[in-house]
Amino acid sequence: MTDLLIIGAGLSGLLAGVWARRQGLRTRIAATGLGATHWHAGTIDALGYLPGEDAPVRSPFAALTRLTAARPGHPYALTGEAGLREALAAFRALLDELGLPYGGAANPDENLLLPSPAGAPRPVYLAPAAQLAGDMSRPEPYLLVGFQALRDFYPTVIAENLTKLGFRSRAEFLPIELITDRRDFSTIDLARAMDSADLSRLANALKRVAAPGERIGLPAILGLRRHGQIIAALREAVGAPIFEIPTLPPSVPGLRLTTVLREHFERDLHGRLDLGMTVIDFRAEAGRVTWVASRASARPVRHRARRFLLATGGILGGGFHSEPRGRVWETIFDLPLTAPQKRSRWFRPDFLAPEGHPVFRGGVRVGPDFRPLTLAGEPAFENLWAAGNLLADSDPISERSLEGVAIATALAAVTSLIKTDV
Amino acid sequence: MFNADTWLPPEASLDQCIKCNICVSYCPVAEATDFFPGPKYAGPQAQRFRMAGQPAPDLSVDYCSGCRVCNEVCPNDVNIMEMNARARAALVAEKGIPLRNRLLGRNELMGKVGSHAPRLANFALHNPVSRVAADAIFGIAKEAPLPRWSTTGTFVDWWEKHYPHRLISDKKVVYFHGCATMYYEPFIGKAAVAVLEHMGYEVIVPPQNCCGLPMLSNGEFKAAGKLYDNNLRKLGPLAAEGYDIVGTSTSCTLTLKEEAPHLLDRHDETTQALTHAVWDIFEWIREHEDELPRDFIQMEMVIPYHPPCQYRAHRVGRPSMDVLALIPGVEVHESHARCCGIAGTYGYKKEKYDIAMKVGQELFSFILEEEEHHHTEFNACDSETCRWQIEHGTGQESRHPIEILAAAYGLYDLETRTTL
Amino acid sequence: MRMLETEVLVIGGGVTGVGVAWDAALRGFDVILVERRDLAHGTSGRFHGLLHSGGRYVVKDPVSARECIHENRILRRTHAHCIEDTGGFFVVTPEDEDSDYPDRFVQACAETGVPCEEMAVAQALRREPRLNPRISRVFRVPDASVDGFQLTHATAQAARQAGARIFTYHQVTDLLVAGGEGDVRVVGARVFDAVRAEEMEIRAAMVINAAGAWAGRIAGMVGSRVDIVPGKGVMIATAHRLVNTVINRCKWPSDGDILVPAHTVSIIGTTDVPVADPEDLRIEEWEIRKMLAEGEKLIPGFAHTRILRAWAGVRPLYRESAVTDDRDISRKFTLLDHQERDGVAGFITITGGKLTTFRMMAEKTVDRAAAHLGSRKPCITAETPVPGAEHGPYWLGHRLREVEDGRLQNQLICECELVTRGMLENAARLNPTVTLDDLRRDVRLGMGPCQGGFCTYRAVGVIHELKLGHGVTPDTEGSDWRVADLQSPAGNPGRGRPPVSAPEPASSLADHLYDPNLLLRDFLQERWKGVVPIVWGQQLKQEQLDRLIYLSIMNADHLPDAGLKSPLSDFYGVDVTPNDVLEEPHD
Repeated sequence: MTDLLIIGAGLSGLLAGVWARRQGLRTRIAATGLGATHWHAGTIDALGYLPGEDAPVRSPFAALTRLTAARPGHPYALTGEAGLREALAAFRALLDELGLPYGGAANPDENLLLPSPAGAPRPVYLAPAAQLAGDMSRPEPYLLVGFQALRDFYPTVIAENLTKLGFRSRAEFLPIELITDRRDFSTIDLARAMDSADLSRLANALKRVAAPGERIGLPAILGLRRHGQIIAALREAVGAPIFEIPTLPPSVPGLRLTTVLREHFERDLHGRLDLGMTVIDFRAEAGRVTWVASRASARPVRHRARRFLLATGGILGGGFHSEPRGRVWETIFDLPLTAPQKRSRWFRPDFLAPEGHPVFRGGVRVGPDFRPLTLAGEPAFENLWAAGNLLADSDPISERSLEGVAIATALAAVTSLIKTDV
Repeated sequence: MFNADTWLPPEASLDQCIKCNICVSYCPVAEATDFFPGPKYAGPQAQRFRMAGQPAPDLSVDYCSGCRVCNEVCPNDVNIMEMNARARAALVAEKGIPLRNRLLGRNELMGKVGSHAPRLANFALHNPVSRVAADAIFGIAKEAPLPRWSTTGTFVDWWEKHYPHRLISDKKVVYFHGCATMYYEPFIGKAAVAVLEHMGYEVIVPPQNCCGLPMLSNGEFKAAGKLYDNNLRKLGPLAAEGYDIVGTSTSCTLTLKEEAPHLLDRHDETTQALTHAVWDIFEWIREHEDELPRDFIQMEMVIPYHPPCQYRAHRVGRPSMDVLALIPGVEVHESHARCCGIAGTYGYKKEKYDIAMKVGQELFSFILEEEEHHHTEFNACDSETCRWQIEHGTGQESRHPIEILAAAYGLYDLETRTTL
Repeated sequence: MRMLETEVLVIGGGVTGVGVAWDAALRGFDVILVERRDLAHGTSGRFHGLLHSGGRYVVKDPVSARECIHENRILRRTHAHCIEDTGGFFVVTPEDEDSDYPDRFVQACAETGVPCEEMAVAQALRREPRLNPRISRVFRVPDASVDGFQLTHATAQAARQAGARIFTYHQVTDLLVAGGEGDVRVVGARVFDAVRAEEMEIRAAMVINAAGAWAGRIAGMVGSRVDIVPGKGVMIATAHRLVNTVINRCKWPSDGDILVPAHTVSIIGTTDVPVADPEDLRIEEWEIRKMLAEGEKLIPGFAHTRILRAWAGVRPLYRESAVTDDRDISRKFTLLDHQERDGVAGFITITGGKLTTFRMMAEKTVDRAAAHLGSRKPCITAETPVPGAEHGPYWLGHRLREVEDGRLQNQLICECELVTRGMLENAARLNPTVTLDDLRRDVRLGMGPCQGGFCTYRAVGVIHELKLGHGVTPDTEGSDWRVADLQSPAGNPGRGRPPVSAPEPASSLADHLYDPNLLLRDFLQERWKGVVPIVWGQQLKQEQLDRLIYLSIMNADHLPDAGLKSPLSDFYGVDVTPNDVLEEPHD
């Protein structure tokens, strides 16, 4: 019998899988497909901006009280500062162990500012080691190196904006042949090509264009499997700090993160991960979910488990759906959502509105134990938990809290569901 | 599951695509070659520019191997592979079918012809001279792992001999053997019958023909439709009587269950009854786990196992692993590889052979590492063409999980592939 | 102040204005055309893409029907590449069965010369499998689909080649008047060049007001009263084609009864609401619901299909006297010779009409101008193909075919609509680019399902590199903008591998307005404007992915120069004030 069935293979689903498995639970993950980690920058954003405020958050922990004052139902209000700290530390320790180290600002209470692929400062709490030398508090001038014919990274735009922001910056281009002979490639293809490329050619070319004292920002394509060695070898050969800047999706840093988590779960921990399984139905008896059913060829497949964790994401993850008249609903259990159920109340005028759009803040309300609640405030089911970006009262994209919320709530939900006898 | 009011052709699922590129990140073919521009491009993106009655604008879709890794990782349920298959069918309808594809698509015909004189046929097909000729004339890659005809008779030859001795029981199940078991690997069918009878079932082997998959994947939809109709005539009545139909070729069962009706737009009642009756054999055994005898022999072996793309496309999880895990001493290690590369007949084609071998590399490495670390003798896989490709790519012999299960009951010798 | 002189000054860069400029230039006049924004920014770029056979008007307005079929036949020759020969169906849906309209329709087609042939329903369904199977009759007419952007651009290029000068982002601020009481004469216009931020004067012997829905404002500058009732029409586009034939309801023309295949999408239109201001393009919830409901009658499941976008255009309907229902105002065009009408010489207004009849409108207008200017050269536009017509008729697969052929030589910048880097660079190099929306009209940038999610950043990067001299596409020969190849990947080949050093900066970008961050913000907001009215379901998910890209990854809301505005930034504003009127108001 499965102890825990997790629905969703995004960051919260995978991490919950890892943590639950490590606690000895027979854990399975079923998901339609893979998740948002593949699109994002690979960084861990804990809290970058408070709703409607223009200045970046310096310390996500110090800003929590103001965040939860504005959004009392925010998932961080449930995890608390301690829960957030604990989860971020656990994540960092885990990734160290898996050989994809993450780091942060010198002061562990604070965010880093890293240059975005448009040249704006991104407030992030943890970043892959490969991105850390981009830290905007460091003194070295920037050299942004692009590859012409790479359509997902534009170093001149970054350099111009960094210059406008007061950072000494310039851009250079190198031929793509230094990495691949292929003519049709994605950033992922380039990263794979780097795994087997002759690094000395690229290193020499970088040496030629770099001035002494500069740090070199490259698109995030520096290897998949051999990423760590590649970065180290390039730094050594060029003799300058080298760092990655994320690109348009598909995200190489995101793929690296997913890959180490997935492999750890499946290979080291012998967890089962099934993709292509869209959960479409469930059965509950006496307040307990007995099974969920997923779409399959010819007939649905039923999955029984003692506990279920819903980690399907919100609108972006596919956990919610919506229709022209403005109804927004949770697709499996039809849990009540806090989203406005009228389209005329969904949006603000500006696409980039700093307060976000109301529809994207709506979600599943959970109790302090991370069990989804009915409208009456009771746990909807005795053995159903929820974690990740489907939770109510948070707009992780405008808050820049996407990964922070996923990580903190995944740990909190697993901690709670393990403690609960079912 | 099917609802005529809401049903839309697979192409309509392009509306689900949000261009997120996850499929591009995982497509093993696009990773291996510039010739295939990737699932998003060939599927939901190109589909918006295709129109019935106009020349097919893109040829690169022919490089899709149909492995469905894209469908598997897509978070939006886009039927990318089906879209590509139908685009290829339009291409074939417009430009005709190379003779090579006609040969590869006619698995059953090839099987029958060769079975009349299997040794001669094996020699004719497998000697270096004729392979070079086939390469040059038909474009069938000379290195590709073509199967060998059974030299001990077809599966049905055996079944006719076994018929008087078969288990008679109130519990009955229909067996769909498929072309590979029929002509090349009758021992798989024997192992299946042994296991099913051990479970107390009387096995029915009705007349049947090729499921049509090779033609579907080569874009010959008309011919595939005929085969499907024939099977419908032969198997439909059994399905209507409520018998389950199990198959050992996971790609055949997928074709009968879902792929053929989906690609050919067949949604009548008889078809639906058939699709609901068909099971992959391990999917069925897992469903009937309580009827599975536990008189296993202690096996003490590590088995590297590759769940083939076609099995994963059933979206039923890993039933073979679930069942094999019940055998004491058996440790099944999953490959986690995307595809062996062969993708039905894809890797047989001269211009695609190298791509298929590159795609298979991650699986081959896994098998070889397992061999090194655990001294494994066999690996396991549910699909015949994948087994042949794995053997070709690694030199290690590959078995169907049903052979392992039969061996675990002492009914089968894994070494010689004979029932005991 | 800069001064220019010409014989004919055309105001308005819609299809009518460029048609007038083309015709006048072909007749040997010296011509300048001024447009305050980009070509086809107004109504010519905001319609459903239907090239009328005349079928829609046979019963209600036979004169228009005759004009349409006449022009339909001409444009298929002169503007072949802008037109897809989709054919059109008039279908009788269950809602319309009890009417005598179909029989009247057949009769009226015969009378007006619009070819019409009844076909078996089964045959129509075979051709259009998504069509409502409950339709009872189908008539086939020679409707077609036409690209208004390309039609305008190609005609403008033909005008340029005939010697006309075309200035976009030049707004008329006043008309220059000579003479006095009883002898008023328009002698030119004062114009603001928004790209160089300078005033100029253009003197002309004849000023032609082709400002469409804005024509009343222009005429008002010399005190002539021209009553235009801007009639707002809302259209929505599906994420992919649902039909390959134009589908019309066979009934008295009304709202949401035309479904047009246009490039990769199907467009349904329209509503018809009189508005006070032609810039008032707010789309109401009831209008969207109505389009979905009407679409459902033609295509079952339409209301559940993914919708990409909604937009509104304004019909320039000329009101001769008070009429209550807009649709009863003439769709025929109106030519006002202000010398005869108001005693203002040197000034002609052309307005009303339809895109299908723009060439005829231009011909009549130039005939009148020529009479005043003393020229007798005949109109030859009906026999003169515009650049690009040699490519032959449009077909849906052409871009994909061309991209396939050169796939490994040129990067796809907009993957949804298959816009290559070469296409984008050439369009940006030779057409003033104030916003990326200008390039969108040229090459269809950002018009697919992701609505700019991926290509906005890329296009900004490409243009920035072009500006700094890192362009990768060879310059087209001479300075001529090859409008004929505007939409063709093969016509804008890349070099594959760009030069890595020795950049030559490109100069034709609107310099003082140019800022990459402004381009980015403007285009994101422009796309958002058309998405907000129809975003739900999968498109809502798409927008959330687009937000993830521009907020989480790019941090585009914290780029420098946040205060900068382009001449169009305000136009891209979205009004989200809730209006919960869900049914069409009746008063």
